[in-house]
This record gives sequence, C-alpha cells and structure tokens, in this order.
Amino acid sequence: MDSVILQSASKSFRNRPALFHWFSRSPAHKSQTGKNPAAKNWLGKESWGTTHALHEVSFSLAEGKVLVLLGPNGSGKTTTLKLVSTSLLPDGGRVLVDGRDTQRDSSFARQNVGFAIANERSFYPRLSARENLDFFAALNDVPGKLRKQRIEQLLERVGLSNVADTLAMNFSSGMYQRLGIARALLKMPSIVLLDEPTRSLDPASASHFCKLVRELAGDGAAILIASHNFQETAAVADSVLVLNQGKMMGHWQISAKSALRRTASVTATEIRNLYFQAIGESDSEEAQAVNQENHEILAICG
Amino acid sequence: MRSLRFADKILAVMRRDLLTAVRYRSSFLMGAVAVLAELAAFYYLSRSIGPGFRPQGMGYFPFLLAGTGLYTFLMMGISSFVTSVQEAQQTGTLEVLMTSSTPPAMLVFLSAISAFLRNGVRLLFYCAAGLLLLSEGNLRIPNFAGCALVLIFSFVIAAAIGMAAAALQLSTQKGSAAMWLFGSVAWFMTGTLFPVQSLPRPLLRLAELIPVTHCLDALRLALFQSGNTAALGREILILAAFSLTLLPLSLLFFSRTLRRARLEGMLSAY
Repeated sequence: MDSVILQSASKSFRNRPALFHWFSRSPAHKSQTGKNPAAKNWLGKESWGTTHALHEVSFSLAEGKVLVLLGPNGSGKTTTLKLVSTSLLPDGGRVLVDGRDTQRDSSFARQNVGFAIANERSFYPRLSARENLDFFAALNDVPGKLRKQRIEQLLERVGLSNVADTLAMNFSSGMYQRLGIARALLKMPSIVLLDEPTRSLDPASASHFCKLVRELAGDGAAILIASHNFQETAAVADSVLVLNQGKMMGHWQISAKSALRRTASVTATEIRNLYFQAIGESDSEEAQAVNQENHEILAICG
Repeated sequence: MRSLRFADKILAVMRRDLLTAVRYRSSFLMGAVAVLAELAAFYYLSRSIGPGFRPQGMGYFPFLLAGTGLYTFLMMGISSFVTSVQEAQQTGTLEVLMTSSTPPAMLVFLSAISAFLRNGVRLLFYCAAGLLLLSEGNLRIPNFAGCALVLIFSFVIAAAIGMAAAALQLSTQKGSAAMWLFGSVAWFMTGTLFPVQSLPRPLLRLAELIPVTHCLDALRLALFQSGNTAALGREILILAAFSLTLLPLSLLFFSRTLRRARLEGMLSAY
C-alpha cells in the first residue's frame, strides 16, 4: 500500500513583508516557476512577487521504501516534506497520508508522520537531550510507561547515549542532527521525513545513519529524504526523484539496487549523471572533483 | 484516557519550564526583589496622596494592590501566549510542535499555562506581601469563594485574549505590538491606577466593554468589600458572559489563522 501520495501538488508563496500585506499585494503573478520579477503593487512600488515552490508534482511512496528527493537549493524538496508533514497545505492538488487527505484530516497525518527538520535550533537549549525527547514524547502521546525505555533505545540508536544528560546548548551541529532524527522517531511513525539528514554528520555517523534508514524501511516505515548527497542517496534509496524550480524532472526506481551497490561509486556516479541530465546543467570538472573528494570521504556509506 | 494525556502534557510543559527557569537561577531572585520594590513604590505613592482619597470606598493602597496585581497577572498571562508562539518561531520549534500529535490550540494553551501558574504564584506573593507588610492593620477577611471565581473567569478571559494575540503573532509576526497597544489601553482605561469613574463619559462606556475592568472591580469587591455580595455577583455574571463569548471566538480565530499560515507558508516566519 502507498503510504504517501502526492497528486499534482502545487505550492506557491507570496513573498511579502510582514504587517504590510495590504501594501504589497501585486496585481498578477504570471510566472509558473521561480520568482516573479518586479510586479508592481497599487502604490507603484515593486512588490515581492510569488515563488512557485512546487508545480503539479505527483509521486507515491510505498511502505518499507525509501524515496530520496534530489535537487538544487530552492527546488522544492523541503516544501514537499512540509506538505506531507502538514506544516504546509497545498494550494492545488492533493497530498494523501495513508490514504487520507492532509487538508481534511491533518491530525491523522500528524499522528503518523515523524519529521526531522534541518533546523538545528529547534530544541530547548537549557534542557538535556533526554529531557528534550521526554517533552516531545509527551506531546506526541507516547504513553508514560513506554517513554523512558523508548527514549533510551532511540538515544542508543542515534549514538547519543553518552551525552543524554548534556544540555542541548552544548551540542554540535551533528549531535543536533542526530537528536532531531531521534525526535522524529519518538512516536514510531509509519512515515519518516528527513531533511538533509547527513548534512552535518561525520563519515562514521553518516554510515550509521544509512544503516538506520535501511533498518527503519525494513521495519515497514515509508521514508522520504531530501538530500544533496549522491553517496547517501546511493546507499539508501529505493527510488530517486529530481526536482528543479518546483518541477519534477525525473523519477527513477532503483530496482536492481543490490546489484548496483557492488560499490558505492557505481550508483553514486550514475545518480549524479542522471541528476545533471535531469536538471539540464553540466557537471563541471571542478564540481566532479569536489564530488569525487566527497565520495572518497563518504564511500563508507555504501 | 484523554484527560490523563492532557494532564501528562501539562506536567511535561511545566517540567520543561521549571527546569529552564531553575537553570536561569538569577531571574528567580530578581523577580522577588522587583515585586517588593513595586509594592514599596505603590505604598509610598498612596501615602503621598493621603488617606482622604478613597476610590470605590477603600484605601488607595489596597486599591492599587488589587489593581496592579491582577493587571500584571492578566497581562503577563496574555503576553505568554504571544511569547510562546514568538519564541517557538524564533527557535524553530514551532514547526516541530505543530506537526506533533497534540492539537495546535492545545499546544499554545499548554505553553501559556505554566506562565499563568507562575504569575498566579507571583500574584499571591504580591497580594500577601502587600496586605501583611503594608496594610497597617486594616485587614478584613476576604470572600475566598468570590476571589476563586474571579480568578477562574479572569484566567479564561485572559486565555481567550491570549489565544487571539497568538493568532495575530502567527498572521502578522507582530503580536507583541498588538499586546503593547492592548496593555497600554488597559493600563489607562480599566481602573488599574485610578477609578474608571474619573474618565469622561464616552471613555467610561468604552472601559465597561473591556473585560479587564470587570476583573479588577470584581477582585477588589471580593478582597476588600466582601459584604457587598450583590455587586460582586453582578460582576461575576458579567465575567462569565465575557468568558463564554470570548473563548469560542478566539479559538475559531486561532484555527482560521493557523490554517491560513499553513497555506501561506508563514508558520515559521518571524
């Protein structure tokens, strides 16, 4: 069964300064993708335009599968995750979580979706890792009896057991990232959303993370990841979806994944080539060199 | 089951706030000193004005004590709704909280409730210290049941106004500006420092439409004129009517604003 379905989902943002909405309303927003340049408001000043973050994107994600969203900055990856998490609602189309429309039944989605956002500041700095998780567990209806045990298991799983009583304010970016993943898993969600999960992780932690994702998928969770990292994608994805300027540029199933994963470099290179073909940009020599360097560092992921 | 979960969530929020407060130790002590300094200022202000000035038939110091104590309780409580949303926006916790299993209106309410409790303790300390240290032996037994009812309805009214202010914070990111305006108008027009009867007639009519005016009047009656049960009963009825009207309206406003913020992608904007 498909856990997540996007049917022609679209999302636009009117970029306007707070408090002065009525001054900056622009007469028309004609562009379909990207930023609408220099529309004028009724005072004759340039308005802030509209960003079409997502334009009629459709895909489905089955339980036990991992879908990685690839795309340049501002391509709509995080917007897609936010639509599934209900922190955003679509302007057009539908988003279904376990068969239910998030517009009509957002509370159902909130009970079944765990979201690890990319913002490392989203914790209470004067609480320890354990205390932070305890607080979010209570809000996520994790029963009191199970809470302690589940928090310990998750801390262990993300490798934070040894710093469980350290105040979050003393954490590094990578530790925040791991704590965010633990928080997303507190309610044992059937759908897990991960926004750039290995961005601040060291190679060993990134490798550990890849294993964790495959374990979660093995347990039946549907996992949606926004990433820039080809090696991470190669290591965990069952399918890859490329977005550019809010549009879907390609969607591939990695069916013979186990064969492709003989070495990480094969898959990562293939995915990188497909990606640059899809977004219509050339992979410059300099970028290839950087990628190769990244690959060497992160090959452990494979 | 639901009430158990609700109690569990209240405990979690209070634990979070208590732990955070304890780890900012100095603010405890400074808060207590500030309360005493405020009381001393009002005491000497009332002495400077002299015993001849008896607003609503009571001494000026008790009048100020009840007025400023409850005003501060209400305004700090209302502000806590805005602050909880504002802080969550700034720290990035709002999006995470809004995607948790707890309904958003309850989340905002939970975040504010511990601030209300903290302010409730402050109000008790303020009134007790004022009455015991500075009332010069003019103590009467208050109407405790009346006081409790007034505080309960005042809490509901403040929660309703706070929820609306939180909605403004979500939609305009400037709920604190609206709070500043409301707080200044309330400070001027609700009888905190002087009786509203001193205001010109049009402003007096307007003052009667502000629920805070009735909260202050009712608390003064319950604390210092416990024999006047008819007037107290009337004020409590008015407070009940405000509570029943404002709370559903503010919840509706909040849910509409939240939906709009989700549609416009303004949930994490600040």
